[in-house]
Amino acid sequence: MTEPLAPTLERRLVELVGRDHVITEADRLLVYESDGLSAYRWPPRAVVLPATTEEAAGVLRLLHGEGVPVVPRGAGTGLSGGALAAEGAVIVGTARMNRILALDPENRVARLQPGVQNTRLTDAARPYGLYYAPDPSSQTACTIGGNVAENSGGPHCLKYGVTTRYISGLTLALADGELVKIGGAGTDPEAGYDLVGLVVGSEGCFAMAVEVEVRLLPLPEAVRTLLGIFASVADAARAVTAIIREGLLPAAMEIIDQNTIRAVEASVYAAGYPTDAGAALVVEFDGTDAGLDADARRAEACCLSAGAREVRRARNAGERLALWQGRKKAFGAMGRVAPDLLVQDATVPRTKLPEVLERIGEIAKRYDLTIGNVFHAGDGNLHPNVLFDRRNTDERERVEAASKEIMALCVEVGGTITGEHGVGVDKRKYMKLVYGPDEIDAMRDVKAVFDPRGLFNPGKVLPDAEVSA
Amino acid sequence: MALEQHPVGALEQALEAQHERLMPCVHCGFCLPACPTYNRLGDEADSPRGRLHLMRAVVDGRLSAASEAFRRHIDRCLGCRACEPVCPSGVEYGTLLELARDVAGRSRPPVLSTRLMLAVFSSRLWRGLFFLGGRLLRSTGLAALGTRLLPSGGLLGSARLGLAMVAATGPWRASRRWTEGQDGTTSHAGAVGSASADPDRAQKPPPPSRATPVVADRHRSTDRIRVGLLTGCVQEGLYARVNAATRRVLEANGYDVVEVRGQECCGALHAHGGDLEEARRLARANVASFEAAAVDLVAVNAAGCGAAMKEYGTWLSNDTVDDMAERAAALARKTRDVSELLSESGPRRGAPLRGVVAYDHPCHLLHAQRLEQPPLSVLAAVPELEVRVVEGASECCGGAGIYGLTHPDLGGRIGGDKVRSVLAASADVVATPNPGCMMQIGAGLRLAGADLGVVHPVELLDESYRRAGYYAGGPSGSRGPRPSGGI
Repeated sequence: MTEPLAPTLERRLVELVGRDHVITEADRLLVYESDGLSAYRWPPRAVVLPATTEEAAGVLRLLHGEGVPVVPRGAGTGLSGGALAAEGAVIVGTARMNRILALDPENRVARLQPGVQNTRLTDAARPYGLYYAPDPSSQTACTIGGNVAENSGGPHCLKYGVTTRYISGLTLALADGELVKIGGAGTDPEAGYDLVGLVVGSEGCFAMAVEVEVRLLPLPEAVRTLLGIFASVADAARAVTAIIREGLLPAAMEIIDQNTIRAVEASVYAAGYPTDAGAALVVEFDGTDAGLDADARRAEACCLSAGAREVRRARNAGERLALWQGRKKAFGAMGRVAPDLLVQDATVPRTKLPEVLERIGEIAKRYDLTIGNVFHAGDGNLHPNVLFDRRNTDERERVEAASKEIMALCVEVGGTITGEHGVGVDKRKYMKLVYGPDEIDAMRDVKAVFDPRGLFNPGKVLPDAEVSA
Repeated sequence: MALEQHPVGALEQALEAQHERLMPCVHCGFCLPACPTYNRLGDEADSPRGRLHLMRAVVDGRLSAASEAFRRHIDRCLGCRACEPVCPSGVEYGTLLELARDVAGRSRPPVLSTRLMLAVFSSRLWRGLFFLGGRLLRSTGLAALGTRLLPSGGLLGSARLGLAMVAATGPWRASRRWTEGQDGTTSHAGAVGSASADPDRAQKPPPPSRATPVVADRHRSTDRIRVGLLTGCVQEGLYARVNAATRRVLEANGYDVVEVRGQECCGALHAHGGDLEEARRLARANVASFEAAAVDLVAVNAAGCGAAMKEYGTWLSNDTVDDMAERAAALARKTRDVSELLSESGPRRGAPLRGVVAYDHPCHLLHAQRLEQPPLSVLAAVPELEVRVVEGASECCGGAGIYGLTHPDLGGRIGGDKVRSVLAASADVVATPNPGCMMQIGAGLRLAGADLGVVHPVELLDESYRRAGYYAGGPSGSRGPRPSGGI
């Protein structure tokens, strides 16, 4: 356990944000010991919940004065342990910073506090015919601030790209509480260095985003959603390659394997994926109505030639929603199969998918583990979900060993150790698989520009200095 | 020796027995935005995931069930169960909450107001006196007067809220616009549910002859489904007119409503309040009473009671005496919300009511029983009635038993938000099928100075039937829409 905050510091924090919003009792801090990756349990020293930009800056100033490290945390849905508090850090949560400050439909931008949930932004934009494109599967719960930190992806990022394309400006609170505005509607993003791009994806290691300006897109005029049923994930992956080779650009292509299909179909999010199928492939096209049917027919042909036993088409918005709900809630539904799971995240060249999936299957077999695969096949972003029970120590060790092999495999075929979940705590040990010491030192130098005292999110992303030196 | 064992250890074991129910939570956090307390407080300890994490910590021996943190955050849950329909892993949060409250309550008794309320609801005599007092405060106008005169803070503020809740239980009067020009006269515009002479004064359920529609009597046949109505405590004590309306509309839809003697409080309040033992005692009494009445189905018109009765199998799953576990599960399978029964039968359409009703979902209907369409189909059977579902209708109104009294600040905030969205619907009347929500929203509207009544949806259908002449002689019996007139 870490030592409690100095009484004077606690008192000042309470004066600033109110008694109810400074949590210091060990019993209450327990709930913050994990984020979406529950394999790690690191209770924070304290949790502070500011409501405004000024409060957030003030909180950072006070902690900086005492040299206390900080971790910004949104909804705690992340899957790399990024929002955990290491090294006696205090969590600064954004749950109360949840207001949409301005929505400008003419310029298609919105300004919001970081605690706004991803889906809430789209809900607010929809009456203007607009939406926020990046759609991480946890979008009903995860926050824009967290999306900025992780540069989050999502199924539709195949066509639309990830978070960084949609963040046009940020107000940052630096470690000492100084507020810095970068980018913004009035600024030409092409002029000068892209500082916003530098901060997006920095996993809370540079600064805390206290205000975010996002770009919105017009809602697509029409959508076609297909469901291909395959005997194996390898067949489904071959269909994905065929669709890309055909020159089509689907908005999303997602594969769900049999283990995952069975968990989803037992849940409230049952989507009608056949439970006897080896894999299901969801392909979606969106855009102008004209031409979508032709695209859908060509994709259908690709699926059938790759061995699909059936290709269905969502007939209405309800069926489409069901297909997506099933896919997006798959991670949570795995709790039906085992009490704990490690959601892995890695990217491989798309053409390597069949081979990699086959080899992951072998690794699972060798370590006697159940792995469910549900992933963004279109951009080669794998999510093997390793199922286990933390009470079984031997199994925990096997999970660790299998994860390591999977990462090494992905790097070996030309991929990398994360696609969208970030490095956080969990992938730190794999950084040296992809970067040499000079690259890691260069990253450390960049962090020092923003955070010279190293107070932001310690113990994340980069390996310990002595290890890389 | 067992006696020397620290009592808390034994209680933690009680929760431990629920390990299998806790394990499916993978900490994904998808429940957070569904939780009214998390949305307002921002503390994860006040979210479903956080509360489950605390329960798991108790099971793992990392947290004491007697700790302030456990009691506070488990207590602060509304029990609305909005987290259940969004949980991909299907965590049975409601059942776990009841067990956690039971465990917390036995290691540290709940606050006095909770204990008093549970004691009153445990005894027929006290219940009777309590609601008699409520009706007196209502009929003498003292409840309304107190609502106007008492200050809003402190202990008197709680009394004011209580009085406003009592005052809000009075019948709603439709404006003349609602019924004008339908039957050549406006004299029928009156209290909704006025078909029965004086329903709210009834201490006992009205004798069947009084509640049985004349028309339906002629259509009684052997294949009609025999339904026993759970009369409930608050429902019978302060909303007897809702029970009367329920009997009439069920009969008019082809059900045989029979009296079930010896029935008890459903036990929901006890289960939510941390006294599972008493909840189980009441449940056993109800199992016996409804069995004795040999009913095909149980009709419930209070969402909270229906959700509880549907859980009887779980509550009594370890009770092997007299096959109680099986019998309780059988009764649970027979339990239906009144809207389920009505939507299965159509329901039959009545005469038009020209008005606007704002509908709000009770949590224990929408989330616990997963019934979204059936209550709306009840309202849809009233021709020309415009139904506006309240914005944010899936969120709790803050009623949650006596939450407003035990957590005045937070309950007040949640209730205030609900009142604002109800008013934004610009309706003539609010409909919601649960007495707790009716009282909470009704009180909130009164305290906000709004002159808007709250009814149970079957009251509107009942009024529509009364105006259609289904209850009072005349040529009738044909199903479906009928010309109005001839009352």
